[in-house]
Amino acid sequence: MALCQNRLQEERKQWRKDHPFGFYARPQKNQQGVLDLKIWECGIPGKEKTIWEGGLFKLTVTFPDEYPTKPPKCKFVPPLFHPNVYPSGTVCLSILNEEEAWKPAITMKQILLGIQDLLNDPNPESPAQAEAYNLFKKDRQEYERRIKRVVRENAAP
Amino acid sequence: MEPLPLPTSLAEVEQLIIALYQPNPPETVSRIQEILQRLQKSPEGWQLAQSLIGNPNDNIKFYAALTIIVKLNKDSANLNDDEAKELLQNILGWTIASCAQGVAPFVIKKLCVALATFFIHFSQLWPNCLRHFLHSLDIGRATPIEALDDALETPIIANNLEISKLKVAVWFATSLVEEVGKTDMNSIKYIHVHERLVRNAFDLASLLARGFLPSDDAYQTQGESLVCFQAWILYAQRLSSNTDVLVTHLRELVGPALNCFAIDDLFQPAAELFSDVLSNYSGFFTEAHYASLASLFDSEWAAEHYNRVIHGDHQLDGISFGLLMLAYGDAKVSDLMCSTDERSQRFLARLAGLLAADGYLVGEDSIFVPALEFWATFVETMIDNIYSEDEAKVNVWRSHAEQHLKSVVSNCWRKAQWPPAETFAEWDSNERVGFTDARKDIADMLQSIFTLENLTLVSFFSGLFLQALSVQSWAEVEASAFCLGSLSDCITEDPQYDVELSKVFASPFFDLLGQAQGPVPLRLRQTGLLLIERYCEYFERHSEYLPHALNLLFAAVGDPVLGGPSAKSISTLCSSCRCILTSEAPAFIMHYQTIRSRQVLDSLAEERIILAIASIIQAIPDSNQKLAVFENLYSIIKADCERAVQLKQQPSILNLSDPNFLRGVEQPGDVPSADEVSQQLAVRALRSLQSMAKGMQDVKEHVVDIDADPFFANQDPKLSAIQSDILNVLVEMQKNFNTSGEIVEIICIIFRAGFSETEPGPFVFPPEVVTDFLSQQRFETPRLGTLLSTACSFVGSLYRGPKNMVPSLLAQLLPWVINMLSSLPEPESDTEVAQNGICFVDKIMTRYPEVVFQIQPSQMLEFFFMFSLKVLNGKEPLPKTASAEFWSNFITLKSDSPDLQGTINAAMEHLGPLISQTLIQNIGGNAARSELDKLSDPLKKLVTSQVRSRQWLEQALFDPSFPGQQVGNDEKSTFLRKIIGLRGARATNQVVREFWLACRGSNFSYAS
Repeated sequence: MALCQNRLQEERKQWRKDHPFGFYARPQKNQQGVLDLKIWECGIPGKEKTIWEGGLFKLTVTFPDEYPTKPPKCKFVPPLFHPNVYPSGTVCLSILNEEEAWKPAITMKQILLGIQDLLNDPNPESPAQAEAYNLFKKDRQEYERRIKRVVRENAAP
Repeated sequence: MEPLPLPTSLAEVEQLIIALYQPNPPETVSRIQEILQRLQKSPEGWQLAQSLIGNPNDNIKFYAALTIIVKLNKDSANLNDDEAKELLQNILGWTIASCAQGVAPFVIKKLCVALATFFIHFSQLWPNCLRHFLHSLDIGRATPIEALDDALETPIIANNLEISKLKVAVWFATSLVEEVGKTDMNSIKYIHVHERLVRNAFDLASLLARGFLPSDDAYQTQGESLVCFQAWILYAQRLSSNTDVLVTHLRELVGPALNCFAIDDLFQPAAELFSDVLSNYSGFFTEAHYASLASLFDSEWAAEHYNRVIHGDHQLDGISFGLLMLAYGDAKVSDLMCSTDERSQRFLARLAGLLAADGYLVGEDSIFVPALEFWATFVETMIDNIYSEDEAKVNVWRSHAEQHLKSVVSNCWRKAQWPPAETFAEWDSNERVGFTDARKDIADMLQSIFTLENLTLVSFFSGLFLQALSVQSWAEVEASAFCLGSLSDCITEDPQYDVELSKVFASPFFDLLGQAQGPVPLRLRQTGLLLIERYCEYFERHSEYLPHALNLLFAAVGDPVLGGPSAKSISTLCSSCRCILTSEAPAFIMHYQTIRSRQVLDSLAEERIILAIASIIQAIPDSNQKLAVFENLYSIIKADCERAVQLKQQPSILNLSDPNFLRGVEQPGDVPSADEVSQQLAVRALRSLQSMAKGMQDVKEHVVDIDADPFFANQDPKLSAIQSDILNVLVEMQKNFNTSGEIVEIICIIFRAGFSETEPGPFVFPPEVVTDFLSQQRFETPRLGTLLSTACSFVGSLYRGPKNMVPSLLAQLLPWVINMLSSLPEPESDTEVAQNGICFVDKIMTRYPEVVFQIQPSQMLEFFFMFSLKVLNGKEPLPKTASAEFWSNFITLKSDSPDLQGTINAAMEHLGPLISQTLIQNIGGNAARSELDKLSDPLKKLVTSQVRSRQWLEQALFDPSFPGQQVGNDEKSTFLRKIIGLRGARATNQVVREFWLACRGSNFSYAS
């Protein structure tokens, strides 16, 4: 538990010192205005020169008590139309999977950049929602139309 | 490419090294490197290094040193102690000679690294390496290690050293700690190396004490000593034990290092050292050190540096001094907060002043963001303390600390002000993003401060707002509105806040805001409109201001920049204040009509406005009036739908000067065909209808009586008429645009909007209507998968409502779904259809198994079982998961009716071996690793609820088609015994995982 808190303090410090442009990530505040380091509100911008450009997608990152031994859970709020995002909004990505590529050394910056990469570069090997996965595979044009709408609905301010 | 032959003479090697450092194409460089590396690693590497070191060319000497490092790391185990000692003598000798000959520093530094590498491999032969190195330097040649016994004391040697030699000694001390620091401190292999290194602490301290003394080499050695000192402190921090001696010696050097600040040339490395150690190892410094730093910060010298940070050019002069102050502040934040003495107060005032440096945020002023970071920590510390400490204790310092927060707040407010538009236009994208990011940080900061200051903070900004407004200082008005807006989530319903907010919302500002050509700049109009949205709860409480606010927003809807955000604000406000606005609905519809007759609205903005109006309509209490207003809005959208169909059928009527057609042009300036326009008109019209459906959703919860008669039976005839009208529109649209997947998708969203409703409404269609609509869909319909997923949601909504009609509706839908599945050329050719089809049957089977088993013709059921087994044996993860869930439920299916139970048993008798076969094929290696947990579920159910499961599984395991060739019969039997023995317990998953791994062979352990 202490390990988790210390690491999150450090993550916060590092993020403030150096974070990629257009992203944000901050711990939630509880009713008294005190920070809850275990739940972060983040925003991931669509990458330039991709169909995702211009969008800013909100994400909640929840850290378990066992963090950094176990990875955090990343969830788009509202759920995002994307082959590797579960209908609940949870992101399916190997670096966020304890049994796959998660390592305690992975930082918040790497996680958010990894998810940004995933937006335009979905992994058809591990689909998480049928709708986006099916359109991505069968009708790329319709898929892209749909993404454009998603981007407009989530336009960066 | 063939490997090149090795060079045959030293001259050739030298030529290759020279070529390596010359500009060459990358392929040439990598070929040369390959040859040289082969040479380095060969047994002759040692001799090669020895021969090369004598060469006058610095690059060749450097390569010689590199070769020694490579050889040491690779072959040191082959050297006996005497050979190693001889090697040490050689490297030392070369280093000292190079120093005397004035060889380039990069060569000498590399030789120092070679010595450090030697220490890592042979620390037992050279425990007092630093003292020995100093002694040899002093004598001017490599002395035998044993000669050290008679040498002078280290401080004396260090003091005697010529300055050029002293510098080399500092280089060596730095390389030593850096290289040793790279090795694993906890590994047994290196533990003694670290112990021996630490024993050099006294010698190091003697060396650095001398290094910090003024010398006549333009402060070079002092600078190098600072770098070396920093490396040793950070090494000491990482060391887990035996640190006391080292730390004690290092601490003695803090004073001399501090003195370096006085020398301009040394300011940079000294500031870096202290900032680094303060931020990462604040416990290193003693209270006495902190006191020295504090008085340093209070000096004239500091005032000058501070002044340069506040008024200087950050790009040119840097902000090191500011960062140093912040690092000190961070390290002592609690003490500073609780101290009320003048010096601490002066220091904190200066830290607050760092938020007021010259220049605009980020692009010009780079100290603001790190300073804000400090203050965020300060405020957090305050909050923690105030919640955990005695009030009496807190009261001692609280007012002092709050005084500083006041300057923090007003500095933030000043910094949040936008530059003039022409200045902003000159910034590059990084500067712009940096500025807006910093504003977000300010908003964050204000939210934290609100926890402590609440009303004071709000009235501070409302005061600034009014004051700035009275003199029309727009940038200040904007910053005040921005700061107030950032507090919207914190402010409660407490009337005292409303008093402050009313001052703002009743101010003449909002009249000015309404004037499109008025004095208010665009950016401020944006912020002003956003402020309205953020305080929509305030407007709920103060409906007297609401119509004016909405009028303002409607007026801005047509604006290319403000349109989007205004529409969003309208939908937020209308949705949450719907009950107060019911009488305004007709006026808003008029507003909407007027706007759209004048110009083509952005489609998303239009959808939001329609959603806003529909949500007001939803709240009209009188049902007749509600339907009347609904029809009013609906008729506009219906006309859009009809126009789309008309155009589709008669392309000649296209008239792009009519805004009603122009709406169908996706990108302004495009010249699309009539068909494309009609398609786009259809999509826009249906999206509008979708927004109506969403707006009409009830926000209140109602109790449902599942035993009651469905309300559709005695529904208001007017409502029924509207419903069938809407349904006709949907059917017509789908028919005329039958290739559009998007239209099917929107229709599905419209249906779904009604599924969650518990009260009658225009989009809450009677279930038989939905059933008919769905079951008439053909396999060729685009987005069939979405229709099936809608059918699944529909079944869910049926289960939540009255139940008497449910079985007959399900009996109508089920054959349709299975027909769709049987039309698939392959079970996996459309994963969405397969997944939703299986989910659908699963949903029915678990609640109404009789509907499933009574399906006619019964071959349909047979088909479905086989289909679902094929999917379970397939490669598509999503339908496979659905199938695994289906079979889990099927295996444990029970019925109260003896007849039905008999049918289920008979089916199980037939299907049990097939399910077992499929599961075992998967677990035997065919499945992907991530699917194993899902597949373990039906297996566990099989073991717990089917008496013949053992026999079925055994058959499957020993079937010739079993995929895992790596496992033998014994392993298969053990696996079977284990899973039967576990009786469905969780541990089955682990057993399955291990067996799967064994079947795949170890090479595959990370393959999937």
